[in-house]
Amino acid sequence: MPYLDSNSTPLTAATAAHLLRRATAGPRKSEITAFTGLTATEAYDTLLSNVQYYPEPVIHLDKNHATFGQALNSGAPFDADSNFGRVQSVRFWWLSLMANQSRPPSLLEKLALFWQNHFVVSSEVVTEYRFVWRYLNLIRDNALGNFRSFVKQVTIDPAMLEYLNGNQNVNGAPNENYARELQELFTVGEKDFYGNANYTEQDVKEAARVLTGWRHYNYWWNGTTSIYSAFQLNRHDTGNKTFSAKYNNAVITGNNTTNAGNVEVDALISMLLNHPETPKFICRKLYRWYVNPNVTEDVENNVIVPLANFFKSPGNNYQIEPVLRKLLTSDIFFDISNRGAILKSPIELIIGAYRLFNLPPPNAATEPGPAEKYLGNVWWNTLSMQMPITSQSSVFGYEPYYLASRSKGWLSSATLALRYQFADTLIWPWLQVTPSYKLGLDLVGWATSLQPNFGNVAASAAITTEQILASFSEHLFVFPLSTAQQNFLIDTIMMQGIPRSSWIFEWNRYRQTPANLDNFNTVRWRLSLLMRYMLRMAEFQIS
Amino acid sequence: MKRRIFVRNSALASVALPLQLNGFGMTAHSEASHLVQALGNVPAANEDHVLVIINMVGGNDGLNTVIPVAQYSQYYNLRSNIAIPTNKLLALEGQTDIALHPALSGMRDLYNDGLVSIVHAAGYPDSNQSHARSSDIWMTGVSANQYASTGWAGRYLEQRFTGYPTGYPSANMEDPLALQIGYTATPTLQGTTQSTGVTINDANAFYQLIGESSNVAGEDLPCCDAGDLVAFVRRQQVLAVGYSAEIKQAADAGANLATYPTQNRLADQLKIVSRLIHGGLKSKIYFVSIDGFDTHSGQAESSDVTTGTHANLLKQLGDAVKAFYTDLQMQGTQQRVLSMTFSEFGRRANSNSSLGTDHGQAAPMFLIGQGLQKKQIGTPSNLVSDLLPVNPQPWETQRDLAMQIDFRRVYTDVLNDWLGNDPGDTAQILYQPFATTSILKPTIETIANGNWADRSTWSAGRMPLAGETVIVNAGHTLRIPQSVSIHKMEVHGTLDVKPGVQLNITGQ
Repeated sequence: MPYLDSNSTPLTAATAAHLLRRATAGPRKSEITAFTGLTATEAYDTLLSNVQYYPEPVIHLDKNHATFGQALNSGAPFDADSNFGRVQSVRFWWLSLMANQSRPPSLLEKLALFWQNHFVVSSEVVTEYRFVWRYLNLIRDNALGNFRSFVKQVTIDPAMLEYLNGNQNVNGAPNENYARELQELFTVGEKDFYGNANYTEQDVKEAARVLTGWRHYNYWWNGTTSIYSAFQLNRHDTGNKTFSAKYNNAVITGNNTTNAGNVEVDALISMLLNHPETPKFICRKLYRWYVNPNVTEDVENNVIVPLANFFKSPGNNYQIEPVLRKLLTSDIFFDISNRGAILKSPIELIIGAYRLFNLPPPNAATEPGPAEKYLGNVWWNTLSMQMPITSQSSVFGYEPYYLASRSKGWLSSATLALRYQFADTLIWPWLQVTPSYKLGLDLVGWATSLQPNFGNVAASAAITTEQILASFSEHLFVFPLSTAQQNFLIDTIMMQGIPRSSWIFEWNRYRQTPANLDNFNTVRWRLSLLMRYMLRMAEFQIS
Repeated sequence: MKRRIFVRNSALASVALPLQLNGFGMTAHSEASHLVQALGNVPAANEDHVLVIINMVGGNDGLNTVIPVAQYSQYYNLRSNIAIPTNKLLALEGQTDIALHPALSGMRDLYNDGLVSIVHAAGYPDSNQSHARSSDIWMTGVSANQYASTGWAGRYLEQRFTGYPTGYPSANMEDPLALQIGYTATPTLQGTTQSTGVTINDANAFYQLIGESSNVAGEDLPCCDAGDLVAFVRRQQVLAVGYSAEIKQAADAGANLATYPTQNRLADQLKIVSRLIHGGLKSKIYFVSIDGFDTHSGQAESSDVTTGTHANLLKQLGDAVKAFYTDLQMQGTQQRVLSMTFSEFGRRANSNSSLGTDHGQAAPMFLIGQGLQKKQIGTPSNLVSDLLPVNPQPWETQRDLAMQIDFRRVYTDVLNDWLGNDPGDTAQILYQPFATTSILKPTIETIANGNWADRSTWSAGRMPLAGETVIVNAGHTLRIPQSVSIHKMEVHGTLDVKPGVQLNITGQ
């Protein structure tokens, strides 16, 4: 069984697509082609070197506001009335980075999506756009950086101080919310792989004492031009903090200087990162995100533990990027048993489909109206399918990433119906993004592009049902369709039980008189039947 | 409106039997007769009526389904390579003009039991021979030059169950309005915003839904966790069928009492329909289908033309319907269920050289059920005068069967006389009023001015039979140039009886 050995087989179209599905919101066909033949390491390097932290400004996409279409300015005096639309603009910005098709594929946004769902701050609670924006920047800036530094910055970030009540955590009246989640969700994890508790209630209380004194400024304060956090010694508990045996009875010595906030928090994070479970907890979660939500004992022992050892090793010292590299270029990542092992999240389903079918987001700076339509459509779809980015309903994150049902949790009879509905909008497009851009598939145009000498029936034989199926299903599924499935799709679904030769007749009749509505409708109907069914297949739901 | 009997004096004088009002055969109606009252009561009586639509996909070869045995030499000449030998044909009781394909023994049995009506040469004007468009015309219920985005049955159900799907399930209708077994929702059931029907992919999906199949995963599962996920999604898809609890409840309460043939795709579907009906599901319409009728080649085996693709399909049809009605009879639900077959078009009268037939125009429909009042609607196509083009050029050797009965007339009768719809509403659903075929009526009536012997004069598309009650509708002039014998006659229009002929009325 291969594990973390570096995969040396040049990528096939299938493995290239696998890497791109997992490392991005979903591949474009041209990207799969470009990655085919590369080694895993070359492909990974490409995805890494394509990272751009700020490739485009955040554009104000609230149509009801005077500054619609202009870049947001974080230093502008805060205006509570326009706040909601600005939060939305930040989300739209991130969605457009994920959906972008004009830049080469990068691994940043999918990783940022992971970290934002790890260090959750929900804009349902932290509702001020400057906090949301700053926090999202922090996530993206640190996604590939050092985990130790990441935890520190998250701990004292204004948004996190608001979200998990660090702002109210003061000497004599501690608020333990962040101290608990810091351990339970952000670093050591509640339990180890075998179900043993990783910390005690005493540890929560002591950590809360360490964290006292930090607060944020200017939240929802009209007219202010900046937000920030700061440590106030007079709110800090300067006593010694003593931890349980889970942390080897560590003591964090009380500090009574104005730098106590940094000194003690750094000591706390060191203690948390010295806990043997912390690197395993993070590596296990990354494995679940990128490789397979099911972690067997075999995987725990042969993937998670070695990866965690590497993560925390002095040579690596909690750098994230080398861990990601190891994971995404490993034999285990490419193993057949891990392909298709994740049920697509709404982001992967929707943005993945838009990227696969070349349906790009308009540039928000130059076409704010169309961009707002497109991104609003993505937002409302992901929201109704239970994945509103930056707006998780709890600090645990999106349910399928923490509940035992894992990625299966994305599907209920309600969300399944919504996924069908979304597929139908691709087949019967209705959203007119621009006068010349309808958000959906032009199936007849697609088939026409496959046909040599379209207008000359005598010159070239009609494209066959088999050719159409091959083109329509290319890269649509993780695994190739079986012969039985192909026959079913052509004979039962596309041809509705009549011979395949009828297609040749119908298609040629359309070629002869494309302006005839009956001829057009007939071929469109058949192509729609086929594509609609494929987009509803269970196989389309896995990644 | 003043109704009147108007018998021309010259004609009256020549009628041999005395015509008496109120007491003999002919009655004048100043108010509703018992007959009319009985018809008026239909809606109340048929609350529990169910319609089963059987789609024969691909275009059924009508001429090898119902064979005009009285014109055998013309039939043989048109299609010698696939003509069914006379000694193999299945005779129908009381019929010398038509016989059935040997594979249709199930349908023959039902016919002889009085449960089948054959509608000859059903179609529509300006026939379109594209599968897609012609299916669309039959399913949306429009003329060849008309387009609709909703189905005829969908429009009916939306009219009957106002506001659907908002407010449903309701006390008035707790079950799906319609249920289809198939992979793609039929346009027939399409409503304004969504289908009025619930669709179950296939028999396997049904048994999964009701928990009687452990084969939840289906086939073609990938390995490992991906296979587990695909199986999971498929299970979710089955459970996500609308009204799944109601369907399961009905399936649990119902049972199949008859034995159904195996390896029969249509029987698999009808078996489910019968069980749900028995279990009390209140759906008004069921839609099932069997494909493969597009028999351009090899529809019959050259070694034995009674076998081959078409024979296999007809056998499935006949055997499935026979088992279905046997089951319904054993359940005691037979009187509630009317079935109707249709195909998007028929096939050429001439066969082609590859033992097949190409796309044609009219084809027969079968209606099956207890309420049917006519054995046949229309007449067997005349293989000389009913061929199109009417006056062929020498090179026009490929001939089509002309349409006799507009399929929307059959829909009209099914809606009005079976499902109890208001005739005015039916005319809206079908975008115009259509004349009855009387297929569900005990009478036969005039639908136009015309001669007694002219089939286009009559609702049933043929002359009245001796035992039938004839209605001459207001505004119609019926010319009777020869002596005729019937059971009763109601005249609201005009009789034009040739002097010297006898109008023999046998009933009381």
